[in-house]
Amino acid sequence: MKDERSLILLADDDPSIADTLAPFLERAGYHVLTVSDGAAALDKVHSHRPALVILDVLMPRMDGREVLRRIRRENLWLPAILLTQVGESSERALALEEGADDYLNKPFDPHELLARIRAVLRRARPGERSLSTSWILSALDLTLDRRARRASLKGESVDLTPKALAVLEYLMTHPDECVSRERLLEAVWGWEYPAGTRTVDTRMAELRRTIGDDPEKPRYIETITAEGYRFIAPVKGG
Amino acid sequence: MRRLKAGRAFEIATMKLLPTLRDFLGRLFNKRLTRVIVTVLPFLLGILATVYVQNFLRPIPILAFRMDIGMAALVFGVFLTLLLGAYFFGDESRGWFARGEMEDVRREMDENRRQFIRRLDHEIKNPLTGLQAALVNMSEVSVDSDRHRAGENARHALNRLKRLLADLRKLAELEERPLERLPVDIPALLEDVVDAIQSLPAAQERKVNLMIARVPWPFPPVTGDRDLLSLVFYNLLENAIKFTTRDDSVEVRILEDGKDILIEVADNGAGISPGELPKIFDELYRGTNARGTEGSGLGLALTRRIVVLHDGSLDVRSRQQDPRGTVFTVRLPVTRR
Repeated sequence: MKDERSLILLADDDPSIADTLAPFLERAGYHVLTVSDGAAALDKVHSHRPALVILDVLMPRMDGREVLRRIRRENLWLPAILLTQVGESSERALALEEGADDYLNKPFDPHELLARIRAVLRRARPGERSLSTSWILSALDLTLDRRARRASLKGESVDLTPKALAVLEYLMTHPDECVSRERLLEAVWGWEYPAGTRTVDTRMAELRRTIGDDPEKPRYIETITAEGYRFIAPVKGG
Repeated sequence: MRRLKAGRAFEIATMKLLPTLRDFLGRLFNKRLTRVIVTVLPFLLGILATVYVQNFLRPIPILAFRMDIGMAALVFGVFLTLLLGAYFFGDESRGWFARGEMEDVRREMDENRRQFIRRLDHEIKNPLTGLQAALVNMSEVSVDSDRHRAGENARHALNRLKRLLADLRKLAELEERPLERLPVDIPALLEDVVDAIQSLPAAQERKVNLMIARVPWPFPPVTGDRDLLSLVFYNLLENAIKFTTRDDSVEVRILEDGKDILIEVADNGAGISPGELPKIFDELYRGTNARGTEGSGLGLALTRRIVVLHDGSLDVRSRQQDPRGTVFTVRLPVTRR
């Protein structure tokens, strides 16, 4: 890093977004480079080696997913955040498949983007694969096979509903991070539910029951009062 | 032996001939012209027979009627024509009627789409106007408190737009996203939803009575998506709270009849006028009661859609006086064992 400030590459074809987000992120202490299409984003990743890349999904010349796929194919493991245009659940699942470290649905609060950037940068180990790009995640006795959509405890397969599995997946790819219920709702459900926080708690109870985690003395998932949840066990990717 | 051979040869010949004949006839009858001719032929023959037989004028007695042969031939011809016509052209005419029906459906869909766009235009216009005014205020006023107020107004308008967008997306996604199909415990779900509603600021000091029949057996589960179903009851209850005052009551009742679970969300608020009642499930429709209240105008459309996706039904009864109130009834089929 030549500059003390981290360089962020922001790729979005809508000038009203790029022009307002860039100064906001600059004020937050980052160096920001903006491009308006996918091909340019890929060029700048090669020439400037940013610390993090933010990609809009729908872009001319090359869409955000394709850019990310090519970056990962070149064994570049810089953290990436995808901005999804539509809230389709298939798109969110894909974002992980292409190796995005996090994703945000438009429209989003810029402060939320900032929080994502900070968390992703804190988690990143330069040059190493992030957990988000690993197919198998393991922590203590728990193993999650993301491609097969299966979790197992001490080698024994456990029965989880698709939603609970997606919650576990999000927590395991964001270990040691306080994940709010709202964030989980957005990432896993994709909608804001009016009774959403309870919806999350119901799934969390199911998840804990299934993996045998006592909320009073948690080994895996800790409740942070009035804030959210945190995956506390160390996670290894593979 | 020889006869047997001859018989066999004949059999083979017919076997060869029959399919060709059938083929020929089939092809002949598949021609529209043939079918028209065959259909009209008895009628024409009937007329010819009438004209021809007229010269003889030899009445024949049929039961009590006296009828001449010519007339009989005509009646028989007409009858046969009608029969053949129904046989050959029945399908065609059905298709013709269906086409008219489809035209109607298409016209109605077009009208619905236009209406939806008109309403959407209206729903976007208002918060955008508010946003625009707030931005002007923000750049023109110099007092901090005024700027702060303008900011709050802008945020309010923005939230309205975001809510509208979120609900539009939900409606679109319901059609695309596969439904989770797991057993759902409806009483437990209702308890959660009532709790959630009562923690809303708008529902402070409001009481929602939840009545669950517990005797003689627990409620059978419903197969479906728990989160979507909770949205159904949340929307209905939120509406009930929104359109009643502190003096009114809100009740949630649940019953089952072995086939369905019946959930009623009832209130004794102002009620909905009979003219508006059929329209409240329309996308973006706003009744006179709903003007000036929060909401995207998509809540009930979304609610109905979710219920229908679960093979259930959503109905409403409402009266504006003696006594007044509204009852929404959700019917969900129980899981077959």
